[in-house]
Amino acid sequence: MAATQSNSDREQRDGIEWRLYQNMLTTRIFEEALVRWEHEGKISAQTFPSKGQEAIAVGCCLALEKGDDVIPSFRTRGAMVAMGVSVAEQLREFLHTPLAAGDSRDAPHHASWPERGVLPGSTMIGGHLAMAAGIALANQCDRKFNVGVAFFGDGTLGSGDLHETLHIAGAWGLPLILVCENNGWEMATPWQKVRKAQSLIPYAEPFGLAARAVDGNDVLDVYHSARWARATALAGQPVFLDCVTFRVGLYSSHFGEVRPGIEKELAAWEERDPLKRMGDWLIAQGAASPQDLDRLRQEEERRIEESLNEVLAERTNMAKGARG
Amino acid sequence: MTMLSYRDAVGKALQDSMRDEPRLIIIGQNIAAHALKPLAETYGEERVRDTSISESAMVGMAVGAGMKGMKAVVMIAYADIASVCHMAIVQSAAKLHYLTNGRLHCPIIIRLPIARFRGHGPEGNEVGASWFYNVPDLNITMPGSANEAYWNFRDALQRPTPTLFFEDRSLHARSGEVADNNPGAKAQVTRFGEKLSIIAAGRTAALAEDAADELARRDRRISVEVVSLGFIKPLDKETILKSAAKTGRALIVQDEPPLAGYAPYVRCLLDELPAGSLAAPPRIIAGADQFLPFWDERPFLPSLEGVVAVAGEMMR
Repeated sequence: MAATQSNSDREQRDGIEWRLYQNMLTTRIFEEALVRWEHEGKISAQTFPSKGQEAIAVGCCLALEKGDDVIPSFRTRGAMVAMGVSVAEQLREFLHTPLAAGDSRDAPHHASWPERGVLPGSTMIGGHLAMAAGIALANQCDRKFNVGVAFFGDGTLGSGDLHETLHIAGAWGLPLILVCENNGWEMATPWQKVRKAQSLIPYAEPFGLAARAVDGNDVLDVYHSARWARATALAGQPVFLDCVTFRVGLYSSHFGEVRPGIEKELAAWEERDPLKRMGDWLIAQGAASPQDLDRLRQEEERRIEESLNEVLAERTNMAKGARG
Repeated sequence: MTMLSYRDAVGKALQDSMRDEPRLIIIGQNIAAHALKPLAETYGEERVRDTSISESAMVGMAVGAGMKGMKAVVMIAYADIASVCHMAIVQSAAKLHYLTNGRLHCPIIIRLPIARFRGHGPEGNEVGASWFYNVPDLNITMPGSANEAYWNFRDALQRPTPTLFFEDRSLHARSGEVADNNPGAKAQVTRFGEKLSIIAAGRTAALAEDAADELARRDRRISVEVVSLGFIKPLDKETILKSAAKTGRALIVQDEPPLAGYAPYVRCLLDELPAGSLAAPPRIIAGADQFLPFWDERPFLPSLEGVVAVAGEMMR
C-alpha cells in the first residue's frame, strides 16, 4: 500500500489493510467494553473475549465474498464484526430490545444474522462443523460459487463431530473452510495433556483436506491464507487452516484467568499482539501515524459507548411506547 | 384412493417428494447402490448421497443444508441409532427454528425404521420415540397405515421444524388405501365404534384395528373405535377427546415401556373431559419396563390377544 498525503484519506481507510485493522480494533474495544459493562451491571451476559486472537476471525471473514457463510465459535465475535453486523445490532441481542433480530433467544455469542452470512453456532463443541459442511453441501448442490466456514478452538479435536465432518467433507470435496483458533489451551488444560502435537494438520490432512499452518497473530497471513483457502475449497478441496495463536484475555468474564503459571508465556504473546502488529505495519508503510491510531482508538471507544446508550434508549423508549 | 402396502407407501412418498421438491436430498448409508437404487438412477448420486457411518454429522449436515433453504431426508439404518445422533437431533435440528427466531427453517426428516422381530437383539429392537417426546419443536410420527406412512412423510417436509419418522418394518406388508389429499397432522379414526376407543400409533394402531375386527367378529354388537395417531407430536388432542367422549371408554396402547411417551400423556389429557364423561377408568397397555431379548420380543410387548382381552374386560 502506497503512503498518501493524508492518513485519514477516505480511500486509504477503505483499503483492506485498514479494514483489517479497524475490524480488529472494534472487536477488541467492544469485548473490553462488554466485560466492563457486565461488571458495571449494564448487561448480564457472559463474554468470552477473543483478545489476542482477533486476527483469525477478522482476517478470514474479510477474505470472503458475498454469499459466503460463517459459523462462529463461542470466541469469534470478530466474525460478527467483520461480516458487517454492527455493534448496536449485536448489543440488541445482549439487551433483548424489541429490535433484536433473534429476539435474544440464542446466547449472544451464538447470535445469528443469516442475511449477513452469520449463522448460529453451537454450544455442543464440534456440532457446528457438520452444519457448516451442510451449508457447503447446499452450495455445491446449488452450483453456487460460495463457501461455508466454521471457526472452532483446538479442543474441538476431541469431538466426534470434527472427525465425522472431516471424513465426509474430504470425501465429497465440499467447499468448506475449517478455521482452527489453535490457542493451545482447553480452558485450564494445556494441549500437552490431551494430545500429542499442537498442530492439528496431521489430523486433518489424511481426510483429504488441504491444510495450511497460519500465524494466527498476523492478520495479513490469515487474510492471504483465507483467500487461498477460498479458492482451493471452490476448486473442490476443503481446507483446514490451523491458526496458531494464544488467548491473551480471560477465559470468560465469569471464570476470569484459569491457566496456572502462564505469566511468561502471556508476556511473550503480548509482544505478538495482532492489533499492535498490524498497527506497526501500517505505520511502517507510512499509511498511518501513531497519532492516527490513537485517534482511531478514541473514536472507536466513543462510538461503542454511544452504541450502548443508543440501544439502552431504544429499549426504554420502545417499552414506553408499548405501554403507551 | 390408491391401494398400497405400507412399504410401498413410504417408497412412493420418497419418490413423489424427490419429484416435487428439486432441492430435496437424501443422505444415508448404502442407499445409492442398494436401498434406493431406482431413486439414485433417476435423480443422481448428488441427491441420493451415500455417506460414511457418521450419523451425528449426517443430521448436522442436513441442518446446515436446511439453513440454505434445502430439504433433507436422513436415512438412519434403524431406530436405535437415533441415540448416536441424539445431540444433532435435539441441539442442532430441533432448536434451529427457535433460536433463530423463526428466521431459519429445518424441514428435514430423520427416517428411523423400527427393526423388531428380526433378531437384532437389545441394541436393535428399540423404538425410542419416548426418548424424544419432551423436545419442543420436534415432530414425531409413528405411521400405523399406508395412508399415514405416505401423507405424514409428505406433510413433514412442509414443516419448519424437523420430524422423526418412525417407520415400523413389521408393518411393511400391510396394505391400505392412501387418500388423494393430505389429511394434515390429524389423527385418523380407522374403525368407527360406539363402545370403546383404542388410541394407538404405529404397530399398536394396526393391532388395535385387528383387535376391533376380532371383537366385531366374535360379537356384532361390539363396536370398537380406533384412533390412529400418526403424528404423536404434535398430538391431535381434539380427535382423541372427541372419540373418548363419544364411546365413554379409552384404552391407550403404546409399543414402548409405560413410564413416558404418548400413552401416559394421553391418559392425562382425558382428565380434561367433563366429569362423568367416561364410564370406566382409562387403561394403558404398554411394553414391559425392560430391554427386549434376541430370542423373542413378543412376550414383552402389546399383543393382539392382550388388546382383545383388555378391551373385552373394559366393555363388560
